[in-house]
Amino acid sequence: MPPRFEKSLYDLIRGLRNHKGNEKEYIQNCLKECRSEIKSQDMDVKATALLKIIYLEMNGHDMSWASFHVLEVMSSPKYHQKRVGYLGAVQSFKTDTEVLMLATNLLKKDLSASSPIVISLPIAALPHIITPSLALSVLADLLPRLSHSHSAIRKKTIVTLYRLALVYPETLRAAWPKIKERLMDKNEDPSVTAAIVNVVCELGWRRPQDFLPLAPRLFELLVDGGNNWMAIKLIKLFATLTPLEPRLVRKLLPPLTDLIRTTPAMSLLYECINGIIQGGILGDSEDDGREEIASLCVSKLRGMITFNGDANLKYVALLAFNRIVVTHPFLVAQQEDVIMECIDSEDITIRIKALDLVQGMVSSDNLVSIVSRLMRQLKTSTNSNNDQLDDLSTDSSEEMGAERRSRKRDEAPPLPEDYTIDVIGRILKMCSQDNYSNVVDFDWYIDVLTQLIRIAPASRKEVDSDGMALGAKSTTADIGESIGNELRNVAVKAKAVRVAAVRAAELIIAKLAMESTSHQVTSGSLKPVAWIAGEYAYHLSNPSDTLNHLLQLIPRIRPPEVLATCLQASMKLFALIAGNDQTSWTAERKSMVSLLMARVIHTYEPLVLHPSLEVQERAVEFTELLKLTAEAASAQAPSTDELEQDPPLLLTQAIPSLFQGWELNSVAVGAQLNVPMPEGLDLDEPIHPNLGSLLAQADSLMLPIQEDDEFAAYYNEKAAPTSISSEPAINRLRDAPETISSGSYQQATEDSYLDADIIARRKAERAERNRDDPFYIGDLGSPSRSQGTSTPIHNILQNENGPDLDIDSIPIMKLDLGAISSSGVGAGAGAPGTYQQPKPKSRPQIVVAADETLVGSRPSTPRTGSQHDSDADPSSTSAKSRAAKKLKQSLLQVDSSHLRNLSLEASQSDDSGALPHEKLAETDAEMAKAMKEVQRLRLEMQRANERIQVAQGVPTEGVVVKSKKKKKDKEGKKAKAKLEGGDGIDDEKEKKVKKKKKKAEAEAAEGAEGGVVIEGEPVGGEGEGEAVTVKKKEKEKVKKKKPKRIIQLDDDAGTGTGIGAEAGVEAGEP
Amino acid sequence: MINAFLVFNGQGQPRLTKFYTQLDTSIQQRLISEIFTLVANRPKGSCNFLPLPPLLAASSTSTSSSEPHNDVPSLVTYRNYATLYFIIISTSTESPLALIDLIQVYVESLDRLFENVCELDLIFNFETLHATLGEMIVGGVVIETNMEKIVQGVRAQGTVAKRPVNESRGGGMGLGSGLGAGLGMGGNFVWSGR
Repeated sequence: MPPRFEKSLYDLIRGLRNHKGNEKEYIQNCLKECRSEIKSQDMDVKATALLKIIYLEMNGHDMSWASFHVLEVMSSPKYHQKRVGYLGAVQSFKTDTEVLMLATNLLKKDLSASSPIVISLPIAALPHIITPSLALSVLADLLPRLSHSHSAIRKKTIVTLYRLALVYPETLRAAWPKIKERLMDKNEDPSVTAAIVNVVCELGWRRPQDFLPLAPRLFELLVDGGNNWMAIKLIKLFATLTPLEPRLVRKLLPPLTDLIRTTPAMSLLYECINGIIQGGILGDSEDDGREEIASLCVSKLRGMITFNGDANLKYVALLAFNRIVVTHPFLVAQQEDVIMECIDSEDITIRIKALDLVQGMVSSDNLVSIVSRLMRQLKTSTNSNNDQLDDLSTDSSEEMGAERRSRKRDEAPPLPEDYTIDVIGRILKMCSQDNYSNVVDFDWYIDVLTQLIRIAPASRKEVDSDGMALGAKSTTADIGESIGNELRNVAVKAKAVRVAAVRAAELIIAKLAMESTSHQVTSGSLKPVAWIAGEYAYHLSNPSDTLNHLLQLIPRIRPPEVLATCLQASMKLFALIAGNDQTSWTAERKSMVSLLMARVIHTYEPLVLHPSLEVQERAVEFTELLKLTAEAASAQAPSTDELEQDPPLLLTQAIPSLFQGWELNSVAVGAQLNVPMPEGLDLDEPIHPNLGSLLAQADSLMLPIQEDDEFAAYYNEKAAPTSISSEPAINRLRDAPETISSGSYQQATEDSYLDADIIARRKAERAERNRDDPFYIGDLGSPSRSQGTSTPIHNILQNENGPDLDIDSIPIMKLDLGAISSSGVGAGAGAPGTYQQPKPKSRPQIVVAADETLVGSRPSTPRTGSQHDSDADPSSTSAKSRAAKKLKQSLLQVDSSHLRNLSLEASQSDDSGALPHEKLAETDAEMAKAMKEVQRLRLEMQRANERIQVAQGVPTEGVVVKSKKKKKDKEGKKAKAKLEGGDGIDDEKEKKVKKKKKKAEAEAAEGAEGGVVIEGEPVGGEGEGEAVTVKKKEKEKVKKKKPKRIIQLDDDAGTGTGIGAEAGVEAGEP
Repeated sequence: MINAFLVFNGQGQPRLTKFYTQLDTSIQQRLISEIFTLVANRPKGSCNFLPLPPLLAASSTSTSSSEPHNDVPSLVTYRNYATLYFIIISTSTESPLALIDLIQVYVESLDRLFENVCELDLIFNFETLHATLGEMIVGGVVIETNMEKIVQGVRAQGTVAKRPVNESRGGGMGLGSGLGAGLGMGGNFVWSGR
């Protein structure tokens, strides 16, 4: 034998360490060596190569190609080689690994080995590779291991059976009585008991009702167990049981309280509290004892947060608070101070948990302070990241800002991205909750949104360049748009602040146009913001500038949907600027309008060939329309001193009329679905039998100019013509908008998180609004909603930065009680004119329009996802839940949905069959054996056929062989079997398979005399429609009685629910 | 249940990967590197729990937080010993504080097996790492927390190799002081579950 030159694992690792820098090449070489070594006949070489491959797999080098060799090593008779093989299987086998089927017999054989360490291997490996069919095959071999003399084998078996049950629930039917017997046995090894408790705890939340009968024994274990690990699990288990059996609570309270007071183990203490919370024991507070326990828990949790600054305790306490807040928000609200501390923790994990919590306890009182805190965090983090500190934050919050900035710097660079997005999302959610019921100061909210838009894009760009995971990318790309959407929602819903929202949008557009002069526009906020600017163009302070900005931006926009919106918006703006029919058609105006049109056409024209249809259509439409208008304008001579000329009607009437119409209101999600189908409506029926000619006729019709005039007058003078609105009147009756009376509330420190220019604008705007606002001029004699008239009562809340206090930055609001009712009614009538019937002093009283919907009387805010389901009709709800289910499938998740459908209790007290689980186990085993028999027969047939074909010179490949098989009779095999020729199976493999099949045959023969197969059951994966039917023999039934007795015994020890029924069954049996 | 048990060093090189549900090798690696970036940037004195890495968060945030899903991995616990990070990814049915102790048990068991364990032992004996873990966790369920029994179970499978003699401690990759030093910290954790 030649000397060995193969590397050992040790050599490989040393080599890796010595090849720093060019590891890749080294690893590729090693893999190449391994590939040849693993084919060696020498088992030692093979095993070593496999071990190296497993090591490389850990470092990310796929080893699925080696699965057959893994199997070879697994079957080695030497333990240390076998162990490597099993390790390879655990690390690399997937449920769809092909050789898994070949492994079945090996697993069965090793399960019945004599050496406990060998038995352990398949038991520990099975959870990693289990499939339903594999579970079916090995169950019979695994079950006896539950009573193995080694406790280590017993506890591993129990866990493996649990994993089997997850994919093949019938396992439990057979295994549960035995597991229960182990649990009840007081002489059982404590670590086996602990393992059972762990398994029961995992099963417990899936099907708590099945484990209620175990309560007395579990209680006993909890009280005298003395094992903290187990006690933790028991408490968790009880927490799932108590909701089903309230009487348990009284039993549990004394030991739990006792544990809380005495245990030195913090983990146990925490789990006791957690158990009390999760078990709903805090629940009703009629009982004095419970109130006491509630306060005990909360005070302990509070202690955990403050305790020594131990971060772990802080974290778990927050986790617990998160659970309490769902049911007992008031208990948590008392702890607001410590929780708010955690928001500023340098530890991101703790921060996020605290945020979760804060989201649950937000109210109109603390919203501003909470959001301010978060905004400050965001602002300082972006500042320190970008190193562009603006003067304002440095002087206002010198010490805090500096401190936080330094903290921020040593934080993870990738985290703030996610975190920023997360926080922004939460801010939006908190504010928009319940249709903005928590927001009292919308000006403040608009400023926050403006600031958020500035913070958000940076994060987005970075994510884009990273090319992150798809899921993450979509959420990050959305965040800018979400903020914009919020601004749009405010503009649509809160009419009183619409002007402010529009101005904010104007600024954002201006900033975007300035900022990114060369590269593409990435901010997702542009779409909603452009929409605002277009829709409410008449509120813009400078429409022509905004139009300019939009026209600049359009060529730099990539996403088609944003582009389409911007096209529409810029057209609306143009209509407003050029469409004024009051001013006369002077030469100056004519040239101005012509120039503007030329510019717009110039911008639109490249988009006429845009690949997105939506964009293309709009561009084509608008370009053609504008060209037409341009012709009309040039044809129309300007008015001179003598002759007054009207501007072209196309410009003043036609184009504006495209965009003027009814006020757009927000519509609830799913409202469309609630529109009842009118009777007699047949959507398949053509609208008009002669539609073509009708349309041709319509083309020749003139524009209904007069009607338009009438409308324009209507629109300008009074409230929008709601009477001709096409929406059903029922809408207006059903949803009375919420009226929010607001007090002024201002965090004086807001300049620490808002940019300087935003604040400056706030000030300027406040002054300006009173002077320039076109709306106020019309109705108000006095231009100022004078600041002196209202009293800033609450405005000096938390004035931390005294010197910086800017009285002007405090919005002035007045609570006008009279206005509440009147404007409330006005809005209730759905009239967009609520705000056109001006109450100069009523500004603080902001009416947030509820979403319009038909049937659902619940107002819903479109942006809170959780409410969507409630609005939708049942069919869409189910669709949604289906979708949710799909989404829910997480990476590492174990799917246990099958388990839910299985009922243990039912089977135990089932009258129809004596101990069906036993029978099932039996039949399962039989079926497994029979299946093997069938497979063996089929394989033999296949071989026979191949032999014949080879003999006849027919190529084996791709030939479909038909043969028949009668029951299990070898001579007359008549059952139809479509067998594909043995392509792909190389000789070596074939031999192997054969060997195994023989083994299977032997087993099957000894076990299943009579070879029982369930009727009509499709057998095996490749069995395509083949079914073997065999009658059940009487013998089998007789055999089944034995194990039943044992079960009877353990039921006596048990709690008694099933016993009566069980006994009855027995008595009734012959 | 426990979804995964990972060990990697300060450079993010995996030393042990055990997933209790099957994952593609490439996704495993991505998850490891995501967790590593999270874990490597923890400020001092922060807690032993990580926010969910993006790979896991994407799937779990889609379910609303109001209804907890016990099936979804929701907790990433880590512990740092000298040059190594020990990570457990688990569902909400595990007790967070107990998991911290579980890692401690694992490391202490290794320490007993190797006598003053250091990263080199783990590099060269990753089979023993697996064996030790196999005595503690099977199929994602904890089966043993008693150190005696764990050590006994591993030893029953054969002798535990010592680190190669010519490989000096702290040599090679500059992985200095053994984990033993880290173990000393064990006393700081007052909530010992045992």
